Amino acid sequence: MKHLKSLNKKAHLINQAVSPEDVEDVVAMQTVVGCTATTDPGWELDPFGGLGSLCQPMESDLYGCADACWWPAQVPDTMNSYPDWGEGVAKADKDWRKLDGIFEDGE
Amino acid sequence: MALTKQNKKRVPLVGPALALVAVLAAPAMAAQPDGETIIRNNCLACHSETGDKAAPFSRISEQRKTPEGWRMTINRMQALRGAKISPEDKRALIQYLADNQGLAPTEAEPYRYLLEQDTNRVEEGIDEGLGQMCARCHSGARFSLQRRSEDEWKRLVDFHMGQFPTIEFHSLARDRAWYDIAKNETAVELGKNFPLITPQWNSWKTAPKADLTGRWRVLGFVPGKGQFDAWMNAAKSESGYQLQLEGQYADGSKLSGSGNARVYTGYEWRAALTIDGVKMRQVMAADAKGGEMAGRMFPAAERAIGGELRAVRDQGEAEVIAVMPSLLRQGESAELTILGQHLEGDVSLGEGIEIEKVLERDDDSIRVLARATGSEGARSPSVGSASLEGGLSVYQTLARVEVVPANALTRIGGNGGEMEKVRAVYRAVGYSAGADGKAGTEDDLRLGYMPATWSIKPADEVAAHDKDEDFAGSIDAHGIFTPGDAGPNPARKMSANNVGRLTVIASVNDGDAQVRGEGSMLVSVPDFVRRVLD
Ligand code: HEC
Ligand code: HEC
Repeated sequence: MKHLKSLNKKAHLINQAVSPEDVEDVVAMQTVVGCTATTDPGWELDPFGGLGSLCQPMESDLYGCADACWWPAQVPDTMNSYPDWGEGVAKADKDWRKLDGIFEDGE
Repeated sequence: MALTKQNKKRVPLVGPALALVAVLAAPAMAAQPDGETIIRNNCLACHSETGDKAAPFSRISEQRKTPEGWRMTINRMQALRGAKISPEDKRALIQYLADNQGLAPTEAEPYRYLLEQDTNRVEEGIDEGLGQMCARCHSGARFSLQRRSEDEWKRLVDFHMGQFPTIEFHSLARDRAWYDIAKNETAVELGKNFPLITPQWNSWKTAPKADLTGRWRVLGFVPGKGQFDAWMNAAKSESGYQLQLEGQYADGSKLSGSGNARVYTGYEWRAALTIDGVKMRQVMAADAKGGEMAGRMFPAAERAIGGELRAVRDQGEAEVIAVMPSLLRQGESAELTILGQHLEGDVSLGEGIEIEKVLERDDDSIRVLARATGSEGARSPSVGSASLEGGLSVYQTLARVEVVPANALTRIGGNGGEMEKVRAVYRAVGYSAGADGKAGTEDDLRLGYMPATWSIKPADEVAAHDKDEDFAGSIDAHGIFTPGDAGPNPARKMSANNVGRLTVIASVNDGDAQVRGEGSMLVSVPDFVRRVLD
């Protein structure tokens, strides 16, 4: 597994983990502000600092993850906060164009 | 409805009897209600009046945060809790809360990047434990920009637990008793690190606040257009300042705009201007005397694409504010512009620098042709009695190039979908080796921004194998990286998205040679939840 070294100072530690299960014993990923890599898989990065273990394409299992509020800071959690998100977009891998974000008014 | 969704572990928000009394006690709506009245009118259906003068409103009184932090909380009250508040009341309430329960300048200082929306960075200085418990979903700055009583940190943990019940099952959570640790250790630590009552806030709260009315000499950077200098006039208005901005880019083209600013907590400058048809935002912090402000400016519609911004108030004194470019290669002639105000008298660029010709001269800008003959090192250019320490660097060899941001994240988008692409802008900073002659050591001399040619390559063999460089996006001559289109891509393995890991390369000319610097780029999937502060 290859790493994004500069994105992850702890990469070498995670590198030593023999399997994804072991990753939990390792320190938190350092990622760019506002990202998550520590849910499994992460949203932007996998726990190895790469993309190899992410759900790809992300549309394929989006609701499986959003329903369980897996990345509530990146994907609207439909469990509690935004139950209607994704409504009318039955299959994200076909209808992904209709998926809209939650944009806060940041005025 | 919202209340029932809360975690049962949470302390009840309000005793119904108290709330009723509070509502009845609320005075009739005035034309411009004060903050407490707005709270009474809008928040007491769920929150209560405590009867305690020092902390009159439940939940609301025992925290302090930035204007953005308050906006985010009130947004949640509206979006998830069903609170109703008019836009005018909301604006006035954010002003009131940020003014009376804000952060002192020194408290906000280490985390300004989040306020400035300058998020292409790996956070440093976030305690490792807090990183694992808290900063694994969102930035560490989000909570480091808040001050709360220990109880309020605990209630914040309860809010998370109730709102995101799976929080315990994520990796770095299911290996431990997450809720117990969060409530009994993390919240206690947060209460110590970021307490409600601090000497900094006590002294800032009572300190006289500067009036920011006047003429400001402004220097900034607009991606795609470049460096600019301008004058910005700030005239008092009802809610803050009315702004007028006129200036020029380094290539001589003009910029002009107008808008409004609000100042929160006596120093947090937030402006919305339309500059040449584009809505822009300014986020700056004013110094205690109100003589200088510094921060960032970015398009309202695309906060990732911004640039540094500095403003120095015209107080009738001569001042040299910057020399652009801020570097001069030994033995070469180059055009330099000295920017400032009330620039009268003799011009000097420092020891060993010959001014071959004054090309243009105003009282706020002097363009010269200069040649460096002296030794390598920093110089302090001056005009009359005003000088700028270390404002210009003479160098012999460009030792290294730093790409900023060193770590960036962009997001696929577009392609007919609702989510826009999130781009990134790069700049190259040059360094000479300094006295020890070795690049990459502490005494390297920062020369300043330099023009570069930009390219990308895959970050490693995996990225090369997946052809990330072909799918994930491209970089233009201005250093602006545009990620690939959203959606599954049938041309990729498993129809993967156009995500990727890239190295961004800046090539900078140094005489006949070229010096390269590299940055790391992650092209990622969309962020469907964009908060005021991520
Ligand atoms: C409809 C009920 C309701 C109304 C109206 C309401 N709130 Fe809340 N408020 C809640 C609930 C429930 C919580 C606890 C859960 C949470 O933090 O979202 C809360 C929590 C808070 C908190 C603590 C948040 C934190 O991060 O710890 C603040 C501050 C707050 N509210 C401010 C306000 C303000 C200001 C108003 C009026 C503009 C308001 N609320 C109106 C229900 C309400
Ligand atoms: C599972 C991911 C996750 C974890 C772990 C997490 N948060 Fe959050 N946090 C969120 C989300 C999502 C929000 C946005 C809530 C909203 O406003 O809708 C949030 C909001 C916040 C806010 C803003 C609340 C306000 O109104 O002021 C603060 C502060 C905060 N978190 C601090 C923390 C702290 C401290 C911890 C560690 C104890 C933590 N977070 C752990 C996901 C997380």
